[in-house]
Amino acid sequence: MSNQTINVQKELLRQPSTIALVGNPNTGKSTIFNALTGLRQKIANYPGITVERKMGTTIINGVLHKIIDLPGAYSLNHKKADERISYETLIGSYDHEEKPDLLLMVVDASNLERNLFLASQVMDLQIPMLMVLTMSDIADERGIRIQSQQLSNVWGVPVISINARSKQCDVQIKQALVEQGVATPKPFQWNPSKPLRQAVERLDKEWLSEHTQLPERARPIEALRLLAEGSLEDSFYQYSEEGKAKKLIEELQNTLEAQGENPTAAEVVQRYRFIGDSSEGSVTKEQRDEQTWTDRLDNVLTHRVAGPVIFVLVLLVMFQSIFSWATPFMDMIDMLFIEFGAFVGSSLPAGLLNSLLVDGIIAGLGGVVIFLPQIIFLFLFIYFLEGTGYMARAAFVMDGFMTKVGLHGRSVVPLMSGFACAIPGIMATRTIENWRDRLITIMILPFMACSARLPVYAVMIAAFVPDKRVIGFLTLQGLVFFGLYLFGIVMAVGSAAVMKRIFPTGKPTPFLMELPPYKWPNVSSVVIQSLERGKIFVTEAGKIIVAISIILWVLASFPTYEPTASDLADMDANGQTSEQMISTLQLNQSYAGTFGQWIEPAIEPLGFDWKIGIGLLTSFAAREVMVGTLNTIYSIEETEEQLGLIERLRSETDPETGLPKYTLATALSLMIFFAIAMQCMSTLAIVKRETNSWKWPLVMFGYMTVLAYFSAWITYEWANTFLLG
Amino acid sequence: MIVPLTTTKIGEQVRVSCLNCTSEDTCRLQELGCVEGATGTVVSNQKNIILQVGECRLAITHPLAMNILVEPVSKKK
Repeated sequence: MSNQTINVQKELLRQPSTIALVGNPNTGKSTIFNALTGLRQKIANYPGITVERKMGTTIINGVLHKIIDLPGAYSLNHKKADERISYETLIGSYDHEEKPDLLLMVVDASNLERNLFLASQVMDLQIPMLMVLTMSDIADERGIRIQSQQLSNVWGVPVISINARSKQCDVQIKQALVEQGVATPKPFQWNPSKPLRQAVERLDKEWLSEHTQLPERARPIEALRLLAEGSLEDSFYQYSEEGKAKKLIEELQNTLEAQGENPTAAEVVQRYRFIGDSSEGSVTKEQRDEQTWTDRLDNVLTHRVAGPVIFVLVLLVMFQSIFSWATPFMDMIDMLFIEFGAFVGSSLPAGLLNSLLVDGIIAGLGGVVIFLPQIIFLFLFIYFLEGTGYMARAAFVMDGFMTKVGLHGRSVVPLMSGFACAIPGIMATRTIENWRDRLITIMILPFMACSARLPVYAVMIAAFVPDKRVIGFLTLQGLVFFGLYLFGIVMAVGSAAVMKRIFPTGKPTPFLMELPPYKWPNVSSVVIQSLERGKIFVTEAGKIIVAISIILWVLASFPTYEPTASDLADMDANGQTSEQMISTLQLNQSYAGTFGQWIEPAIEPLGFDWKIGIGLLTSFAAREVMVGTLNTIYSIEETEEQLGLIERLRSETDPETGLPKYTLATALSLMIFFAIAMQCMSTLAIVKRETNSWKWPLVMFGYMTVLAYFSAWITYEWANTFLLG
Repeated sequence: MIVPLTTTKIGEQVRVSCLNCTSEDTCRLQELGCVEGATGTVVSNQKNIILQVGECRLAITHPLAMNILVEPVSKKK
């Protein structure tokens, strides 16, 4: 391997520049990004697709530079959306991302050959770069020693070795950029065979240069891709004279085959061969036969029986912790909003503005922010587990079961997150590569019984399900409660199986995943990412919640009701306090009340009256609002909230027949409705954000509401006939 | 002797001799270092396979593993 002189460029960093982080997934790219940018980062989706775009800023030697963290890629053969973005950005043809001036080529030292494959492709694009070797501690453990200087001589770019988990890694990188600078690598260092080189040159000259807008340095890479895949189908350029291109590609492939080269594999095999040969001088490996920690852990964690059992245990611990750890914070937030509302309410003169601020905006916002602790805790767990390398194993052990029901191994964790709240669950579906699998997971995720359904279930069960022992310590109430959770899972699995048939399937993607070595995650990176998730949740969903809260407030407050003298006399006669009664009457004849009574005929078959109807309407903002709304409607003293409401529900009678208005049938019907219906605005908002279109949230709302309606109807009829008949 | 990856035992060393899957899956395997001619060690075979190729540990499901034809090199243990 001949050494080459490195053409170092240091002047690039004297002016503001755009620096891109490029590398395989799981190489510590995000950790470096977090260390370089700290909290000066912005995470959003690329427009039109659901690939995450991360950018931030960093200061090197007094100059402010932009840092972009490109999606992790194994190659530049842009088959997947995220790889395509990396490729298009690198060649400067992606409209939504700036063309990088220089690159930090992140390479996992413990898996050098695989990482150098992408590096060698990127080098063909001739962008100035610094190669950053990460995971040197794991490489050390495995007895792999890399001579950075030797590697630098082979590839013609400066190379540094860092420990991405050390707090100093940003300092190390900045220092290297200042002292060692960057260098523009030479193309085709991997010595492609003569026939392959000739084929690339011909395709470039006879077609790419004339008929495409590709910059010169990107054309060889595009030619290699076309030769390997032989199709222009997923090309993102509008090629003219496609027919001519197809003919030329076919001819070149035939020529390659005649010269003993396999067009599909030639590039990959030759790059790997060069990487293997060139590593001889720079990499030494000790032969170690003993089992590593990763081997020992994998023997247990991916075991066919023990693996799934451990996974379920991990989840149990996770959700129990989320519930118990988040509760004090949620109580605190609840208190803060109540105090703040009371403070605002008492500081402003009574009137419309006061009511809008306190009952509309502050109450609405409080309803969202209260879930923030659960969301942050959930993401702390998820990022922590991801950082350890366990998530890949969890997906692997559950893949068999998930495939059977039409999903993918990677759907497991998001679905489980849905028990806490559908929103973080939907956000967690980003780890699913295949768009169809991801979409189905998103579409069924709201069936998982989230924590907001708990209050509704609790009230209805306590009011209408008899508290009798069934077997051992199991009570009927407990069984119904468990049954509702199980019902959610069954609905999710069933819907997935149906959707699998409906959605354009394409080929199923067989599970193939790299299992990263186990390691202790970087705590600050985990914390930064979780906080960032929390921020996204509050800002994105918060905006919409505030808007709807205002609308609901308007609907429930107008037209305003002025009690007449005879109304007041009636109230006195009935022994009711006038404030409670006025608010009930206010609700009765408000737009929301009128609407509730207007939709009553539609919900009557389900056993619901207009009061529940208003509850259904308001609980669209968030499911738990249902209990609050029923409370308001029945004007119950707040101190006896639940007991009072439960008794009121039981004692509510039909004025015409004198029979109880709500029965076990009503309760079952309502619970089934809540288990299925899409009664959550925040979820719809997040689905819109994650799918980048209103189509999917609308489809979700539509099918879940229809399904909920008919299921509740059947439940009501069935319960009336068989349980009460 | 060339056999599907699914028929190998834990600890067995194999050389990848033919990727008999769709070109898309072949590409994914190759990019991860599982190229024809590469040698690897079977870490786990419980229907689904874990194959260590170089420093890369690949989790491969049964249907895909059936289409990876390998040549046992020498048996460990």
